[in-house]
Amino acid sequence: MKILTHPNEPQGKIKNWNQQQKMAPYLFIAPFYLLFVVFMGYPLISSLVMSLYEMRGFQSRIFVGFGNFTDLFGDPIFWKSLRNTAYFAIGTLTLQLPIALLLAILLNSKFVKGKNLLRLAFFAPVLVAGVFVAIIFNLVYDQRAGLINQEFVLFGKEIGWLNEENYVMPAVILTGVWQWAGFNMIYFLAGLQGIRQELYEAAAVDGANWWQAFIHVTLPSLRPVIAFVFVVSMIGSLQLFDLPYILTNGGEPADAGSTIVMYLYKNGFQFMRLGYAATIGWVLFFIIAVVSIVQLKLLGIFREE
Amino acid sequence: MFHLSIDAEGFPLGKGPMVMLVLFLISTLFIFGRSEEEGEDLEFWIFANTHYEEYQARVPIFEAENPGVNVRLINFGGTMHDKLLAAMLSNFGAPDLVEVEITSIGRFLKGAIDEIGFVDLRPRLESEGWMDKLVVSRFTPWSYRGRIFGVPHDLHPVVLLYRDDLFKAAGVEMTAVETWDDFINAGKKATRDLDGDGKIDQYAIVLDRRTESDYFNLLLQQGGGFFDEDGNVIIDSELAIETLEFFTALFNEHEIATPVYGTWHGDPSNFAAMQDGKILSILAPDWYVGILKSQVPQMSGKWKAIGMPAWQPGGRRTTTRGGTMIGITKQCENPERAWELLKFTYFDRSGLVNRYETTRIIPPLKAAWDAPIFKEPDVYLGGQPLGELFIQLAPDLPARYQNPYWSEAADLLNDAIFAAVTEKQTSREALTELAKKVRTLIAKDMNRWGEM
Repeated sequence: MKILTHPNEPQGKIKNWNQQQKMAPYLFIAPFYLLFVVFMGYPLISSLVMSLYEMRGFQSRIFVGFGNFTDLFGDPIFWKSLRNTAYFAIGTLTLQLPIALLLAILLNSKFVKGKNLLRLAFFAPVLVAGVFVAIIFNLVYDQRAGLINQEFVLFGKEIGWLNEENYVMPAVILTGVWQWAGFNMIYFLAGLQGIRQELYEAAAVDGANWWQAFIHVTLPSLRPVIAFVFVVSMIGSLQLFDLPYILTNGGEPADAGSTIVMYLYKNGFQFMRLGYAATIGWVLFFIIAVVSIVQLKLLGIFREE
Repeated sequence: MFHLSIDAEGFPLGKGPMVMLVLFLISTLFIFGRSEEEGEDLEFWIFANTHYEEYQARVPIFEAENPGVNVRLINFGGTMHDKLLAAMLSNFGAPDLVEVEITSIGRFLKGAIDEIGFVDLRPRLESEGWMDKLVVSRFTPWSYRGRIFGVPHDLHPVVLLYRDDLFKAAGVEMTAVETWDDFINAGKKATRDLDGDGKIDQYAIVLDRRTESDYFNLLLQQGGGFFDEDGNVIIDSELAIETLEFFTALFNEHEIATPVYGTWHGDPSNFAAMQDGKILSILAPDWYVGILKSQVPQMSGKWKAIGMPAWQPGGRRTTTRGGTMIGITKQCENPERAWELLKFTYFDRSGLVNRYETTRIIPPLKAAWDAPIFKEPDVYLGGQPLGELFIQLAPDLPARYQNPYWSEAADLLNDAIFAAVTEKQTSREALTELAKKVRTLIAKDMNRWGEM
């Protein structure tokens, strides 16, 4: 698109044109801010206000102050959902991330063949929508004919993975590992490929073995990537919803599969307690903020180097 | 004075993006610029595929009979109820007619009675005499505080579906079973360790201990419920407690029941257990028979059905499980026209007979019951005319009173049942605690809002 002006433009019009030029950048970025205000800013403020109210049917609401917050802290299902969510988050950090790192190290090693194919294979589960993953794993955990019990039944026990309280969250965690380990592997792989080879050579000159090089060269060099993956995985874990919702048919039995976001959804959409649901959302926001800051602090991201 | 000129070379990102932009603009103009079909639109939201297919086939007949009316059927599947909730909250975008599932209707009944988003259909039903033509107890799930917000799509009577071959092999004639005591005696004979390894290989019945489904079947059968007609919590009544004690005893004392395999009765795992002969009977509403037929057709001829065992000789032999209603929303601009479409889809005899043919769902319209199809032998049940059995039980269907707190109550009831069956609490403790929680919840709302 060419914008052409007449060469002999009067002074007033040139001034006007200059003003337009000053305004132009703001107009260009306006769509983003407009969309942000409509779809982010307004809902955020509205949900904060809503957390101080409770719906009275569809058409009216009543101010309850911090009543929703005090109710929430005395709500056993909220605490159970929080425990389950924390269980998943810890499972993710202790199981999924080490596996992702291990896969990345394997794929970064010169001894492994068919790296591109393996990379695709490990990454592929991320491309499957969470709902479908849950449906597939419903069959994998099937009590009678499921893939896992077909192996475990050899030991004489037919485990009700999705039917017995103690097995529900481990089943969800294992599914999470299958879906997300490959995704995190890509981050670690990128981090590993960015480590300068001279560092390993220097360590070798100093007599470091593989393990010492891993501890003293690889891990410190990967620190920013580890911090990023930790924080993103933790936030993702705290927002867990679709996987357990489909796998456990809404969190049963006995809320063993209930998570914070699932409880938020139930309150908002099934119980029509929008104020209470907004409160859960804000409490979740503060939990995520605090956990993320603590994680970043512990991983030394705020340190000046 | 300035003027604009556009050419591909001058376009910031080159030819490709420019072509895409032009195509986008043209398609946008095409989509938004096309003229609306003339006439009156009726929007009808559905969540069940089978219903959608049925209406898709029948709506053109209604449109032909009502020139100028365009019916827009929209099948949103499982997310429909959430969309309806959003439309009612924003007071904008709700359809004219909508089908709502029985466990979802409670949330739409919250708040002041006049603010509920559905039209009260009682005046129309009464003035046109429809109340007497349908099974009247079936209006209870869709009624609240004297108003009727929906017309029942179905009855969903429940029968006991059983493996005739395996019960007979255990020396049990199930047609002689009349009461639950009879069933326990029969079940003890049929629940067996076939290979002598100390583990039970076949259970007399499969029951869901994760959710309220089967326990509630038994409670409703006796005229109980979670709430009574006036909205009082009655889940800690002696009847409810004794029923839960009976339910848990089937697992723990008599050891004739196995928990459902997988997450519900329709889980592939449960079907696999049925095929393995691990499950000998199940409490089955009409729709569940339809699911069985489509999911495990290879079991054709192996099942038979009797009415549910009664609690005392001569007692009620059925209950009701599941259900759907159709309602007219208050956002509908022409409720009279919507009412005509409602009657066409729900009260037309030939349509209801077709529905039974494809879904095995027994209609609430009594005038449809004498159609020959309901007496036809059912191959899946070894030639037994299942429709006849359902229709024989239908007039005795128990009431199932609806309440705005049903969703919360059911969620907590699931936990109470699981706690009782897994012996973490006694039935009395579990239900007493549950009733207290729900009463507290309601009382808190009443304190905040006042009576509505």
